[in-house]
Amino acid sequence: MTFEFPKSLDDLPISSPKWVGKPVNRVEDPQLVTGKTEFIDNITLPGMVHCAILHSPHAHARIKSIDMSRAAALLGVVATLTGEDAERWSRPMYTTPQGWGGYVLATDKVRFVGEPVAAVAATSRYIAEDALELIDVEYEPIDPIVDAFSAAQPGSPKVFEEHDDNIMYQRVFTWGEVDESFQKADHVYKESFRWNRVGANPLETFGVISEWDLVDDTLTCRGAFQTASFMAMGRAATFRLPSNKVRFIAQPHGGSFGGKGGGRGTDITLMLSRKAAGRPVKWIEDRMEYLSSGGSQAWDRHYEASIAVNDDGTVTALRVKLLDDMGATAEGFGATGAVKPMASFTGCYAIPNAEYDLTLVATNKLPASPYRGMGPPPHNFVLEQMMDIAARDLGLDPAEMRRRNFIPADQFPYIIASGNEYDSGEYEAALDKVLEMAGYEQLRREQEEARAQGRHVGIGVVSTIEPGVFDWNAYTVIGTQGIGIPEGVTVAIDTMGKITARVGFALEGQGQYTVVTQLLAEYFGVELEDVRVVLADNLSAPPNFGPGGSRLGVAITGAVLGAAQRLTEKLTKVAAKLFEVQPEDVELLDGMLRVKSVPESQLSVANAAAIMLNRSDMLPPDVDPSPQATFAWTAPGRVEPDEQGRVKSYLTAANACHLVMVEVDPDTGQVEILKYYIADDCGTRLNPANVEGMVQGAVAQGVGATLLEEYVYDDDGQLLTASFMDYLLPTIHEVPFPEKAALVTPSPFTPLGAKGAGESAIHTTPAAIMCAINDALLPLGVRAKEVPASPNRLWKLIQGASG
Amino acid sequence: MAAKRDIRLTVNGVAYEATVEPRMTLVDMLRGELGLTGTHVGCEHGVCGACTVLMDGRAVRSCIMLAVQADGADFMTIEGLASREGELHPIQQAFIEERGLQCGFCTPGFMMSILELLQETPDPTDDEIKDALGGAICRCTGYESILKSVRSAAKKLLAPAS
Repeated sequence: MTFEFPKSLDDLPISSPKWVGKPVNRVEDPQLVTGKTEFIDNITLPGMVHCAILHSPHAHARIKSIDMSRAAALLGVVATLTGEDAERWSRPMYTTPQGWGGYVLATDKVRFVGEPVAAVAATSRYIAEDALELIDVEYEPIDPIVDAFSAAQPGSPKVFEEHDDNIMYQRVFTWGEVDESFQKADHVYKESFRWNRVGANPLETFGVISEWDLVDDTLTCRGAFQTASFMAMGRAATFRLPSNKVRFIAQPHGGSFGGKGGGRGTDITLMLSRKAAGRPVKWIEDRMEYLSSGGSQAWDRHYEASIAVNDDGTVTALRVKLLDDMGATAEGFGATGAVKPMASFTGCYAIPNAEYDLTLVATNKLPASPYRGMGPPPHNFVLEQMMDIAARDLGLDPAEMRRRNFIPADQFPYIIASGNEYDSGEYEAALDKVLEMAGYEQLRREQEEARAQGRHVGIGVVSTIEPGVFDWNAYTVIGTQGIGIPEGVTVAIDTMGKITARVGFALEGQGQYTVVTQLLAEYFGVELEDVRVVLADNLSAPPNFGPGGSRLGVAITGAVLGAAQRLTEKLTKVAAKLFEVQPEDVELLDGMLRVKSVPESQLSVANAAAIMLNRSDMLPPDVDPSPQATFAWTAPGRVEPDEQGRVKSYLTAANACHLVMVEVDPDTGQVEILKYYIADDCGTRLNPANVEGMVQGAVAQGVGATLLEEYVYDDDGQLLTASFMDYLLPTIHEVPFPEKAALVTPSPFTPLGAKGAGESAIHTTPAAIMCAINDALLPLGVRAKEVPASPNRLWKLIQGASG
Repeated sequence: MAAKRDIRLTVNGVAYEATVEPRMTLVDMLRGELGLTGTHVGCEHGVCGACTVLMDGRAVRSCIMLAVQADGADFMTIEGLASREGELHPIQQAFIEERGLQCGFCTPGFMMSILELLQETPDPTDDEIKDALGGAICRCTGYESILKSVRSAAKKLLAPAS
C-alpha cells in the first residue's frame, strides 16, 4: 500500500487547522511544573540496591590486581563486580569503527581517567560509596598518550596493543575535480583551526535501574534512555540473550542532546543484579562521573582547511583535513560526529568540488560522545572562517561573499558535492531577512564609529544547514549497518471515543508528545484533551528509534498520519455499511465520516469506533472489531553510499542565518555580545513555540561552546574540568536573546512539509560569533582560530599582537 | 559511622520526623526519606541550582546542606507550590504559557528561586530577575522564556483578584 501523506496543513481532513502549526501549550508541562514527572531517580523498587562505580585515577595503567574482599565484607554490601565478571558474562563493547573498545569494566589495563574499574551494590548509595574506599587496586602506570598529533605518529605508544597504531580510521574522500580546481583558482586560502572538547551536559545525568531475572534469564531496565529500543538490542547482543528477553522502559529524562551516555552504567548494573540474585540495582551517575566518564565530551578537533576562490568570490573547491581525537575507545557513536559533516559539507554554498581527509585517533582521554548537531558545528566554524578570510582578501563584504555562493532557490532539490541531497531552501531570502532586521548598513556604520573610538567591535554573518531526519546510511562509511530508521505509533480509539497514541520514545524536552497530540486532535477533529500519548516499552511498542539527528518531529508526523489514515480506512468501511454506500463514497472531514453526496448522512469518528467495538452485527465482513492502527515511517529513497561515501542521507536541509555583533575587550579578552539576529527556516513549524524554544536553547549551547565551555586535560591525561566550577555552562547572564524571524520553505519530501529542527542554532552560533570576533580583531592584525575563544585565549592573542 | 540523629522539620506545611546520619544531605533526605522527589539533583556540588528549596523563606541549595541542619526549619518545595486541590500557582501557569521549560528537570529549582524573588520584589526589573536566577543553570531553554515566565508570573501575582 502506498501512502499519500498530506503535503501541507491544507491537506488535513479539517476545514481549518485548529491545532497543528499553532503554538499550543505542551501536554507535558503540568506534570513537569509540579515536580511529578517520573525521572529515573524518583523510582524506588522493592528490594532495590544502589550501585557505585570505582573509576580509574590513571590515564593509562596496567591493572596488576584488584582485591574486592574488604569492600564485599562491609555491612550493607550486596554484590561486587570487576572486569573478570564482565569478561565471563558479556562481550566487549560495540564500537564504531569496530574493534576499538574493551569491556565495560577494565580488564588488562585502564585507558582513561574515569574508566570504570569495579562496582559495588549496597543497600544505600552512601554505603556503596563507602565500599569504593575499601577496594584495593594495584596499578602500574604507563606513559599516557594525550596529544592527538603524537598519537597519530608511526611508532607512538599504543592505546590498544592489539592494533598496529592509534589510527582508528583514516580515509580521504574526494568529490569532483579538487586538485584541478585548486590549480586553476585565482586565489587559494589555507588556515588551521582548533576546536576543543565540549559536550552535552543535560541537567539530569544518566540513571538506570536494572534487573536480571535469574529464573527465566530476562533483563528489565528502566532508565534515562534516549533510544531505548536500540539500547535493548545492544544488551541482547552484549549478554548473548534472545532479544525478546530484554525489556527496556525509558523514563522521561532531563535532557539529552545526544550526550546522555549510559551503555556502561546499564551493563554494570545488569551484571550487579545478576550477582545480587536478581535484585533491582539502581545507578544514578553523579555530575563528576558524567563529566569525567559519561557521555559528556565531543569534538576534539584539529583542522586544516583550504578553499579555491575566483576573483569574483565564487568558491570552486573546499578541502578539509581533520584529525579528530576520539579518546580511548570508539564506544558510544562519538565517531559519527566526524562523518556527519559529509551531510552538509559545503554548507549553503554551491561549491562543486570538495575533499575530506579524515583521521580518527585514539588517545588516553574519555571516549568521545555525540552532542547536539553531531559534528557539523566545528566544521561550520572552519568553513565560515575560510569564507571570511577570502572575503577580506577580495575586498568583499562577508554577506556579499556568501550571497555569491549560495545554492540558488531554483536549484532544489540540490545534490551537494559530498552526495547528500538538500530538499529545498531560500538562503538568500533568509540572509536578506537578517540584514533587514539588523539594519546591516547602519550596523556597519556603528562599527566604523566604534572603531574610530578605539573599540573592538565586529560583525559576523553566517548561514548554515541543519541536516534533518538522520539515516544510518550516513554512517555506513565508518561501519554502521542498515538503511532506514522506522519510527512507529499505534493509534487506538476506545469505546468512549477517546484516542490513545502509543509510542516508543520517552519525554526528553522537545515536546513531541504535544506534536503527536496536535496531529491526532486535528486529524480526527477532537480537542487536545481527547488525545493521550503513552509510552510503550521496547517489547510492546511499534518499531521505533526515538530522538536523534533531528529526525523525530518529521518521523513521528509521518507515523501518526500513516496510522490515522489506516484507521480512517477501517472507520470509513463501517460508515459505508451503515449508510449503505461504497467506502469510496465516504470521506472524513472535521471528525465526521460523511457520505460525499449526502452531507447530512454522517457518523462521528467516536461513534464509528464504538460500533466496531460494541456492535458486531453492524461490522462489515472485512473489518475486524479493532479501531486501532499502527504505522511506522521511514525516510523514502535512501540507498547505500557510493565508493566515495556519497549518499542521500539526511532527508531535509533546514537553514538558518545568524548575524551577531560583538565587542572584544582587549584588556580582559572578554567578548560581549551586543546584538544578535536570527532568520530560521525549518519548513512547516508543527508547533512554532517548540521550534523557537529549541532555537534559543541551541543559541545558549552555541555561546557556551564558543566562549566558555572546554574540557581540559593536562599532559598526564588528568581531566582538569571535572566540576561545574571548572566546566563553565552559560547562565542567564551570558546568553543573548536574539531577535528571531521564521521563514517557511516547506519540504517537498516530508509529511506536512516539516524539516528536522532543533539544532540549527548550534550549527550556526559558534561560526557566527567567531566570525564576529575576528571582524573585531581585524584592526589588530590577529585572528582567533581556536574555540572556545575564552578570555584568557583572546587576551594572549591580543597581547601577542601588540607586543 | 556517626550515630544517627533525630530531626524535626516542616515541609509544605506538613510536620515530619526523621532519623538520619549526620552526613546525609538535605536533598537526599527530602527525596529519599520523605519521598518528595520533585526537588531534583543536577550537580551535587552547589552550582546548578536544580535542588533549590526554600528554607524559612530563603532559597537554599539542598545538595550542599546536611539534613541535620534542617532541624527545626520550615521548608517549601515544588510539591507545595500548587494548591492541595491541584490548582497551579501563577508561577507554574506562567511557565506553561511562556514555555519556561523544555525537559523540566531544572524547573522546580528555578521556581523556588523565583518564588523567593517575587515575594521580596513583586515587580522586578529584568536585571533583578537575572540577578536572582544567575545561580541556576538551564541547559534547554536558553533562559529567554524563563525570563518571560517571571515577568508574566509577576503580573499575575500583582493583578487584583477578580
